[in-house]
Amino acid sequence: MVEPLLSVRNLTATFERHGAPARVVNGISFDIAPGEAVGFVGESGCGKSVTARAILRLAPEGSSIAWGGHILFRGQDLLRLDDAAMTDIRGRHIAMVFQDPMSSLNPVMSVGAQIDDMLIRHAGLSRRAARRRAIELLDLVGIREPASRADDHPHQFSGGMRQRVLIAIAVSCQPALLIADEPTTALDVTVQAQILRLLMRLRRELGMALMLITHDFGVIAGMVERVHVMQHGAIVETGAVDPLFAAPRHAYTRALLAAVPRLDTTAGPA
Amino acid sequence: MIRMVAVRLLLTAPILLGVSIVAFVLMRALPGDFAQASAGTSTISAEALDTIRRSLGLDLPMWQQYLGWLGAALSGDLGVSFTLRTPVASEIFPRLAVTAELTLIAGLMAGLMGVTTGLLSARLRGMTDWVVRGWNSLLLAVPNFVIATLIVLLFGLYFPSVGIFNYVAFARDPSGNIASLLLPALSLALTVSVTVSENTRAAVLEVSSQDYVMVAKSKGLRPRAILRDYLVRNALTPVVTVTGLQLAALLGGSILIETIFTIPGMGQYLFDSIASRDYPAIQAIVLVASTIVLLMNVLVDIAYARVDARVSYD
Repeated sequence: MVEPLLSVRNLTATFERHGAPARVVNGISFDIAPGEAVGFVGESGCGKSVTARAILRLAPEGSSIAWGGHILFRGQDLLRLDDAAMTDIRGRHIAMVFQDPMSSLNPVMSVGAQIDDMLIRHAGLSRRAARRRAIELLDLVGIREPASRADDHPHQFSGGMRQRVLIAIAVSCQPALLIADEPTTALDVTVQAQILRLLMRLRRELGMALMLITHDFGVIAGMVERVHVMQHGAIVETGAVDPLFAAPRHAYTRALLAAVPRLDTTAGPA
Repeated sequence: MIRMVAVRLLLTAPILLGVSIVAFVLMRALPGDFAQASAGTSTISAEALDTIRRSLGLDLPMWQQYLGWLGAALSGDLGVSFTLRTPVASEIFPRLAVTAELTLIAGLMAGLMGVTTGLLSARLRGMTDWVVRGWNSLLLAVPNFVIATLIVLLFGLYFPSVGIFNYVAFARDPSGNIASLLLPALSLALTVSVTVSENTRAAVLEVSSQDYVMVAKSKGLRPRAILRDYLVRNALTPVVTVTGLQLAALLGGSILIETIFTIPGMGQYLFDSIASRDYPAIQAIVLVASTIVLLMNVLVDIAYARVDARVSYD
């Protein structure tokens, strides 16, 4: 057994709201090995996004959230790092792709500049070298004519193209772990497949571990080796993808699988 | 972009024409005219009044007076002041320069105060937010001439060494000139800073909850870079708009502030001209002030497009 890249132990997340704490993640534990792809499935509100964000210690603006437990990344507990050290981890070692590409890019900066600032920050590149690298990255994620497109602003890109840009940003510093939080939910079905293929290819080429979060079993299939099924802030079932699909043990997993529309059955739930 | 500017500039012509007509008619609708105003309280014969009116062309029908003025104005002649008997242009532009300087200083002060307090308020929230918002409400409730009067009282009573009414011309003593404008600029700036502060606060709060700020954090950018490139740059657009319009209004001259601090600017000139019914002067001031407001509007639109690439006027 290889040393895990990320080892989450008994993670809790509690929102403080006017003295009434609401616990949304309820002591979950899991490991991600270097280069491994792990899926997290569950309906909205099950705590999967909060779990993903906890790894980067990201909280929505204006909310106060308290984390408990341990998040060990290469043996270092992220929940006990000071803010400056945590900032060095974000983007450099653990990067994230978010759900809505339409609102995830800064509208007043060119897309190139939004890759540049990350490279300048973490890779210590000069502005000129960063731009050269940014153009390579845009090319890598399949943006045509990357040299001229780098100067364009987000509103000049379609949703799928923006998600490609955001993926280019996320992989720019070759992180060891890429967290993708519902990366295709906001996209057209045809574009979804392209983005998933892109993520798979980059994972292979860059040797990244991938934590893929989704509510859609269709997305998970063929993408990851292991799946954690989450409900009410807890992991209710874990397993390799194929056995879990073939013989789900937990009632909730069966219900989720039954919710996926199929072409080969007659109408109505199975 | 260039087309937008050209169209906007063309549109200013009919607006200015309308403004000049309204100003012309309103002035003559006021009771009394220059002849009576210049006579003051002394009794003067009706014949003498008529002579004065005839010599100034005030006996002609109003439309004739207006067309005469318009023709001259179009050829760049703003007329001759009734009271001073000198061309209005030679009087108005030095005063415009004074008001512009006062506005510039006030604008810088308001921008500095407003952006700082707005940012602090939005970023720190809590107690700071309460203090800033309370302070803004107070400033908003108190008109600037009251602030000006309080400043005069404060410095007059407790710091008499600071000259309040000693306006110094820029050509004579540049640093003394700027110093003499600081207090009047402050009384203008405090009110404007409320607009800047509240708009900055609202915009920063709105921007803070945007997804791209979360993305910026996930990129591991330093807090200062996030503040500069993600928060402030996005929050700037609405602030630029309102501040530009407020400054445009100030450029027309603040009658009360310039009168209280005896600054020879546009506001004071307007006040004196209305008191003496100096029609050519009033017409010229209204024309110049509205031109400035219209030009500032166009400038704000251009600034808008510069700050935000999504804005296009084609």
